Amino acid sequence: MSTTWLPCGDYHQNYQQDHAWFQTKFIKGKMILLFLILFIGLPLISDSYMLSVWNIVGFTILGALGVQLLIGFCGQLTLGHAAFIAVGAYTSTLLILEFPWPQFMLDWGIAYPISIIIAAVVAGIWSVLFGLPSARVKGFYLILTTMAAQFITVDFVLTQYVSQIGGRGQAFSLPPGTIKYGPWVIDNEIKIYYMMLVLVILCTVLMANLLRSRAGRAWIAIRDNDISAEVMGINVVKYKLLAFFVAGFLGGIAGAFWISSLAAISPEHFPWFLSLWLVGVILIGGVGSIHGAIFGSIFMVVIMEALQLAVMPLADTFPKLLMDFLFIKEAAFGLAICAFMIFEPNGLAYRWWQIKNYFNLWPFSY
Amino acid sequence: MDLFLMTAVTGLMVGSIYALVALGWVLIYKCSGVLNLAMGEMTLIGAYISLSFYSMGVPFLLSLLFSLIIGFVLGILTERIFLDKLIGKPVLTVIMVTVGLSFFFKGTVELIWGTDTRVFTPPVFSLEPIRLGPLYIGEVYLWSFVAAIILLIIFVSFFKYTRWGLAMQATADDEMAALSLGVSARFVYAAAWAIAFMAAGVGGTMLGNINGLNISVGYLGLLVLPAVVLGGLNSVPGAIVGGLIIGLLQNFSGAYLDRYFPGGIKEIAPFVFMVVFLLFKPHGLWGWERIERV
Repeated sequence: MSTTWLPCGDYHQNYQQDHAWFQTKFIKGKMILLFLILFIGLPLISDSYMLSVWNIVGFTILGALGVQLLIGFCGQLTLGHAAFIAVGAYTSTLLILEFPWPQFMLDWGIAYPISIIIAAVVAGIWSVLFGLPSARVKGFYLILTTMAAQFITVDFVLTQYVSQIGGRGQAFSLPPGTIKYGPWVIDNEIKIYYMMLVLVILCTVLMANLLRSRAGRAWIAIRDNDISAEVMGINVVKYKLLAFFVAGFLGGIAGAFWISSLAAISPEHFPWFLSLWLVGVILIGGVGSIHGAIFGSIFMVVIMEALQLAVMPLADTFPKLLMDFLFIKEAAFGLAICAFMIFEPNGLAYRWWQIKNYFNLWPFSY
Repeated sequence: MDLFLMTAVTGLMVGSIYALVALGWVLIYKCSGVLNLAMGEMTLIGAYISLSFYSMGVPFLLSLLFSLIIGFVLGILTERIFLDKLIGKPVLTVIMVTVGLSFFFKGTVELIWGTDTRVFTPPVFSLEPIRLGPLYIGEVYLWSFVAAIILLIIFVSFFKYTRWGLAMQATADDEMAALSLGVSARFVYAAAWAIAFMAAGVGGTMLGNINGLNISVGYLGLLVLPAVVLGGLNSVPGAIVGGLIIGLLQNFSGAYLDRYFPGGIKEIAPFVFMVVFLLFKPHGLWGWERIERV
């Protein structure tokens, strides 16, 4: 087996080879190149506005990974993921604002990293709570219970109760300088960008590794047919709840990351629209692949920003257009989902796979 | 005691509106197997259409009729353009298309009619409550109840006694058998969407008359989802009973629980109840329990 080029056909001789991260030197080189572009190239050519777009992309990827895990790999339909992102964001914010951190921890700047981890765990537990009905219900009924998670968490618990903590009323604002890693204060887009990059890579690797493990194989078995999975000795309830936990965990990380970009957080940042948006993102990207979550996020965010940029110059002549843009965006997103579902049900990841295969098999495409 | 009775009666009357919209939902599901998440936006569209006609000076009943006709056309168009191509696709695909539709509808409604609350001016129903024995009931609620009951009766008799209705029932019961007997599936699907759109339009108009019309009426339309789940997804009586239960639950929690959980308990209670209920009866009250085989 050549060590540089992937041969045409499957020549793996053992399990390690089959599941290796870098199958050939070429792929390793490609990945190194990608990392160089992400860490050095993109920040060099991007201005502050573009960096903020990349940060939205990163946030969407972090959120979409959890949805992808639930829908794409475990087959548990969810329409309430924004609730878990909100739980993560609020936990992290409240920890930073209200928790009596010892002075040395503040000095070392480890309050925010610790709060991210705690936020992720809390969001995961919250997610398991609403995943409990999945032990008994499936399909559409499960969609409704996750929808209930959204309404109960964001519209009720967060709006009515959590927002009252500290007597602030609606929104929590984070004073500048509270979000810092060790000596680095996260205060501009480029720092947020690097933080986003590290988190996205960590989460993607975490998820890819989970999918290669026993848990991942169990999830995929449950997705394909939960009864046969149970017959094969997989503890279906346990793995479903584990999937909910990991999805909530990723959502919590997304939320805790997002507070670094927001000046103030309020329940309006986590509407039901966000949940549906994330599901739309993975459907457009492609269900059942990590590439799908990433491609979908890039595609949707960049398309919407481009739409906005296209509308901006028209705003001088039609001032109403700028006001209506939000609605146009909503309608366009709806139509995009419908069009993708009808004409491209496999998503962008499938096209990517086709292109890759074409080059892998070139020049003899058999 | 008076509070209890008043809450119960108001709850039943609002519930009858939910029952009407839920009936439309169940119809779509039974006939074409589509789990429709765009129902809230469908109520919104119907409501705004009748409001537009009404503000132009058309009498209320006539504008309601216009909204029924336009709803009929929109329903058929929606089915033909979007859902027709999805027959036999996976559940998630179909659900997400209805989610996409709901965004599309909502965006369009906001674009055309704006986001401000609009009321029917002059008010269709007088604000003076009507006295029924010891109870005072808003006129809106009473007429909504009457309208919902009349429409429910019309729909049920349509299914029982007309040729088209029987064809739809047959398709809902066993699609293959109905097709082999010469029922046109395309016709049945389109009819289901048209009827659902019409029912949603009437429901939305009534809801809009109660508190004024804005985007949050679409959220009230979402409450049909707990209603149909309580009744079981594929049962018409279940949808009606579920709608009434949700109406009652909403009003009772508003009247009695608001003291302990200030804020939006009224909107949340149906969903909380639904989650707990599903833990004990995963198929609703009269939903079919499918036996699954590998």
